[in-house]
Amino acid sequence: MAETTDGGLVARVLGGDEEAFRELFERHRRRVALIAGRFFRRPEQIEEVLQEAFTKAYFALPDFGARPGGDFAAWLARIAFNVCYDELRRQGRRPESSLEDLSAEESAELGRRLRDESAGGDAERAAVSRDLAEKLLRRLSPEDRLVLVMLEVEELGVAEIAGALGWSLSKVKVRAHRARAALRRALGRFL
Amino acid sequence: MASQKRDEGREAALDRVGREVLRASGASAEDAERVAASGFLYARVRARIAAERERREDADWWRAALAVLWRAVPATAAVAALAFALLLFATTGRGRMAEAAFLSPADVGVEGVIFDDGRALSNDEVLETILEGAGREGQR
Repeated sequence: MAETTDGGLVARVLGGDEEAFRELFERHRRRVALIAGRFFRRPEQIEEVLQEAFTKAYFALPDFGARPGGDFAAWLARIAFNVCYDELRRQGRRPESSLEDLSAEESAELGRRLRDESAGGDAERAAVSRDLAEKLLRRLSPEDRLVLVMLEVEELGVAEIAGALGWSLSKVKVRAHRARAALRRALGRFL
Repeated sequence: MASQKRDEGREAALDRVGREVLRASGASAEDAERVAASGFLYARVRARIAAERERREDADWWRAALAVLWRAVPATAAVAALAFALLLFATTGRGRMAEAAFLSPADVGVEGVIFDDGRALSNDEVLETILEGAGREGQR
């Protein structure tokens, strides 16, 4: 038996079949968790994004259903990115540790990377890198961080980012330029 | 020239490390997948959907109540303004109601008593009535 398409499942949910939403959830939860994992490390943060993204998607299903032929995965990814953005902004309002919190080990790791000595690396070094990256990225605004992750990690194009965030192309380009400069400034202190 | 090349090299190094930093940030794919595979996750999503639905229904109730108020307040104000305007019109000289216009000569009952309360006799009228009565008696 052929598998029901995402569009078909959406139609079933809109028709009152709540079990069809479970099927959509099962199909796409991994992708949403991976998107959340680009921005957040703690499992509870990833789960928060996952829950919020699927809740928002559930209530927005009539909008998606009104446009036949839409790509559900791309639509859900847009919602997930926006939920991550909201979460980053919420975090931005909380007091955070700053660059001064870098440990000696982290500073050495950053120096090694800047001198291009970081070929390969064991699990311990990866963990240090992750902590270091987290602390460095806290220096960026939520917008900067969002755009950089979408560009450099998700490898999305400017048009895709603009579509996902509802921004103009020029706004994405300007924000990307400023974000790169901000990240360079943050790193430059260790050169 | 040399310093420009050095700056470009420095910027390229910073961009490269910046990309590494971005890729190293966040959770590993395994950690994210572990969260996605955790038990009862769908149940928690359903609970959240139910809570959100309840919140939206409450918000809808308040919105409906505000919409009724939004329509009722101007309508009540308009009626009050109209009533006040009519009151002013009725109590000013030009608009004062002539009670007599409501009475026919045959109305001698309750209506006449009510409206007579509003038409007090002047001293001249009283004197004129007395004199008329005295004159009639004198003619007899």
